[in-house]
Amino acid sequence: MQDRPHAAELAQAVREFIETEVLPGIDDPRLRFRTLVAANALGILERELTLGAPLVRREVVSLARLLGHADPLPDDLEELRRLASDLNRELALRIRADDTPEGTLAHLLATVADKLRVASPRYLERYR
Amino acid sequence: MTTDADPAFSVELRERLVPLFGADITIERLSLLAGGASKEAWALDLRSPHGTRELLVRRAGGGVIHQETLTLEHEHRLVEVAFAADVRVPKPYGYLGEIAGRPAFVSERVSGETIGRRIVQRPDLAGARAVLPVQMADELAKIHAIPAEHVPFLRGVGARDVLDRLTEEVDRLGDAHPAIELGLSWATRRAPGQSETVVLHGDLRVGNLAVTQAGLGHVLDWEFGHCGDPAEDVAWPLVRAWRFGVDERHLGGIGEVEPYLERYNALTGRHITLASLGYWEIVGNLKWAIGALTQSRRHLSGQQRSVELAVLGRLAAEMEFELLHLLERVG
Repeated sequence: MQDRPHAAELAQAVREFIETEVLPGIDDPRLRFRTLVAANALGILERELTLGAPLVRREVVSLARLLGHADPLPDDLEELRRLASDLNRELALRIRADDTPEGTLAHLLATVADKLRVASPRYLERYR
Repeated sequence: MTTDADPAFSVELRERLVPLFGADITIERLSLLAGGASKEAWALDLRSPHGTRELLVRRAGGGVIHQETLTLEHEHRLVEVAFAADVRVPKPYGYLGEIAGRPAFVSERVSGETIGRRIVQRPDLAGARAVLPVQMADELAKIHAIPAEHVPFLRGVGARDVLDRLTEEVDRLGDAHPAIELGLSWATRRAPGQSETVVLHGDLRVGNLAVTQAGLGHVLDWEFGHCGDPAEDVAWPLVRAWRFGVDERHLGGIGEVEPYLERYNALTGRHITLASLGYWEIVGNLKWAIGALTQSRRHLSGQQRSVELAVLGRLAAEMEFELLHLLERVG
C-alpha cells in the first residue's frame, strides 16, 4: 500500500498549488484560462477518485436492470468499468435499432447526473 | 515594431499587404491574440502616410483543420459577400494567400466585448443586452437573404444531412453514448421534411459577437458557414451552453426568445414557430455534445495535445443532461 497522501489528496495538493501560487502570477489571459482549466481538471480527478467507484457500480446495476441481465456483478472496479462500457454499447445499439427499453430516459437522467457529480457538480446544481 | 512573430512571417506578411495598402507601410505592432491548431488571430497595427490602421490577420494554424470548417479563402469570401449584403462584419480587406506556408486574410480589427460570460454579466452592458435580441434577429435576416449563388462553395444540408453527419461523428468516437443516441433517435423521427435552404452563419451566438454599449457591433467567426434550414441558425443561440450561466434568459443569457423570433419573422416573412426552434435547440445540444467529445478525441489521439480539449470530453455530460431534460419536456 502506498503511503499518504492518497491519490485524491495528491491531486488536491497540486490543484491548491496552482490556484494559490501559480494563478496569481499569470497575466496573459490565454495562459490564465488554460491554467484554470487545468485546476478544474484536477478537481474532476479528485472527485472521481473519491466518488467514482460506487457511481460505476450504480450505473452497471441500472443498466443490467434496464437491459434485463441477471448475471452477478463483478467486484473488481476495472471489470465493472468494462461491463459498463459493454452494456452502454448494447443500450446504444438498441436505441439506434428503434428498440429503446422502457425506462431508458429515467435511467439516462440518473446516470448522466452521476457523471456530472464528478465532472461538473456546480452545473448539476443549476437544475435544482 | 513590437511583435511576437518570427521575422520571416512579418516580412512576408508585409509583402502581401503592399498590394492592398501601398508600398509605404510599416508594421508597428504584430501580436498573437489567439492561437490554436486550427486558427491564429494576429493584431496588426499598420502605419502608412494616411495614418495607422488597426487590422486583424486570421491565419490557419499548424494542425489539421476540422473537416466541417471553411478554408480561410472561403471564409474570407463569405465575409466579403456578407459585408456587401450590409451584414455587420469587420470590413474584409483581402485574402493574402499563404504566409510562411499557411493561408491568411486581413480585416478591420473591431473593438467590443467578445467573451460570452462577460457579455451576459457586465453591468455596463445591460443596455446592450436589452437591444441585442432584436439586433441579432436583424443580422440573421440579412445573412439568410444572401444569394446562395454568391457563395457556391457552401455545402447545403437539411435536417437529415445534419443528423447523418452527427451519427458518423458519434461512430468515430470509439465508445457508446446512449444519451446522444436517444437524442439522435428522437431528432430523426421528428425531422422536418423538405424545408427552405438559405445561407447560414452556422455559429451565430453570444461569444461570437463583438458587443459594445450600443449592442451588437459585429458578427465574427464565419468558419462554420453553410446552407440549411433557417431555423437551425435562429435556434443555435438558444442552446443552454451559450447562455453562459444565465439560464433563465433563454436567448443567449441576454433576453427572451419571443421578441427575437417575432422580429426575425417580421423581417423575413417566414413563419418559424417556437416548436421548430425547440426541435433545432435539441439538435443544437446534440451538435455541441458531439462536438465536445470529438474535440477531446483530438487530444486523446495526439493530433493536438491540450488540457482544454481533454476536459471537453468530460463537459459533454452537461450537454447530454440538457438534451435529456429537453427530451423529457417534449415527450
